[in-house]
Amino acid sequence: MNFLKHSGTAGALLLTAATAFLSQSLHAQGAAKIDGKEIQIHSFASQGFVYSDNNNFLTMNTSGGTFAFTDAGINAQTQVTGKLRVGGQLYLRNVGELGNWHPEGDWFLADYRVKDWLGFRGGKVKSALGLWNDTQDLTFLYNWALLPQSVYPLDLRANTISHLGGDIYGTVPLKKAGSVAYTIYGGQRPSDLQGGIVYGLLGSGITVNSYGGTVIGEDAKWTTPVKNLMVGASFVDLDVTTEGTRISNNKPYDVYTNKDHTEAAYAEYSIWKLTFDGEGRREIQDVYKVGLKSGGNGTAAADLRGGFLSATARVNKWLQVGTYHSRYYPNWPVTPRGLPINHLFDQTFSARVDIKSYLDFKAEGHFMNGTTGPNSYHGFYALDNPAGEQPTTKLVILKLSYHL
Amino acid sequence: MKIRSALHILTLAGIAHASALFAGDVKIIANPSVSEQSISSEDLKSIFLQTKNSLGSAHVLPVLHKAGPLEEAFCTKYVGKNDGALQTYYRSLVFTGRAMMPKALDTDEEIVEYVAKTKGAIGFVSSTTKLEGVITITVK
Repeated sequence: MNFLKHSGTAGALLLTAATAFLSQSLHAQGAAKIDGKEIQIHSFASQGFVYSDNNNFLTMNTSGGTFAFTDAGINAQTQVTGKLRVGGQLYLRNVGELGNWHPEGDWFLADYRVKDWLGFRGGKVKSALGLWNDTQDLTFLYNWALLPQSVYPLDLRANTISHLGGDIYGTVPLKKAGSVAYTIYGGQRPSDLQGGIVYGLLGSGITVNSYGGTVIGEDAKWTTPVKNLMVGASFVDLDVTTEGTRISNNKPYDVYTNKDHTEAAYAEYSIWKLTFDGEGRREIQDVYKVGLKSGGNGTAAADLRGGFLSATARVNKWLQVGTYHSRYYPNWPVTPRGLPINHLFDQTFSARVDIKSYLDFKAEGHFMNGTTGPNSYHGFYALDNPAGEQPTTKLVILKLSYHL
Repeated sequence: MKIRSALHILTLAGIAHASALFAGDVKIIANPSVSEQSISSEDLKSIFLQTKNSLGSAHVLPVLHKAGPLEEAFCTKYVGKNDGALQTYYRSLVFTGRAMMPKALDTDEEIVEYVAKTKGAIGFVSSTTKLEGVITITVK
């Protein structure tokens, strides 16, 4: 792993090429068949280059320019019977200090669809939350090289990305009022030791042994009678338990959640060659209990708010352009919100070139204001910015993605 | 000004002609296991978006043409997305474990053959295609 870490560019290119070759080969042969059942195999990979003028962002050495912005996945699925489908996907990423090429079972599930309005999924399942939570790794679907970090923070991906448990889902027709697709789910969230919280705590002198907990959530997407207008809402109840050790005195570090609720409201609308998206989030972390194992009785609470508005335009077959404005407040009641440590705004401009149906290139500029401070573990970290954080950051991302 | 007006009229006439051509040019076909003789445009859209996988008492699965004029016209008219947007939609399902990619074939003849032998298959072909072993479904 260290070798790959230090030769990140070579490793990334090798990985991308290998995955592309593997997928191309499989694709060229058509889907595989076992015992007469067709097995579909699909894959994706992306390689980015990131450069910033000031702060290092998302644990990458962006101020020096970095290629440590890679991810890839490969999946296989088969329809066992008309109603039963099984499959799984492997995923890995290396984003600065995040992921560290650690392969994970991204999802693996059995899906049994009884009726159009009732189905069940079990296994490790991607969680339905907001517009793009379950597809946030799949940037080849979007105009963006980096999704709005107010709502889809790359460093906190594991907080909501999936659950080991089950879903009940379906689509309910509402006749002239359109239809509603719903998902109700629950399970255990993955313990992510390669993510932003663990990295941020390391910067505070704490090593983490486990970080995870349960999740219960609901999501509803209403396809309205208005052509190409979808609106939706989600709710998630998280239990977050963090256990580790304080490096300075070897004493235990532990944090438990009383309540961690996230509410999301979102919409998407398309007209002509334009698409508009918007999402608002509020996460209420109501009283974390801190340090019970070490005899402490500290508490903490926060009211996190964020959201974005975006617009994209398809110019022609090859080119799509877009912009979004993203705002995030790590603790809304803390004022003045205009201070750089109390907000993170991002105005982004992006162009996507579709080189082939399976290959795209993106060039994106981010104009960020604020950092949310070194202890919010949201994009900017003390470990990466030891001289302190500057109030503004300009960032450029170039990204090549393929999918088959 | 006159040239511009003439171009507008020609464009509108072209669009109307293409629509008229398309409306008469596509047939919805299904495996004989599908007993329904007609389908609402909403149900047809839902089947191709994979939010609906039954029609009457039959389990159904969509079959697509690979990219081409007929595919583009069908997707735009009945699914409400152009072919590129529909493929993006399918990928969002495939890479999250929500569904599999629908079967896509090159020619009308291949689609007829596949639909004829695949229980619950539903697809579309141009109206001049010779049909054998499949039923046609009208869109209400």
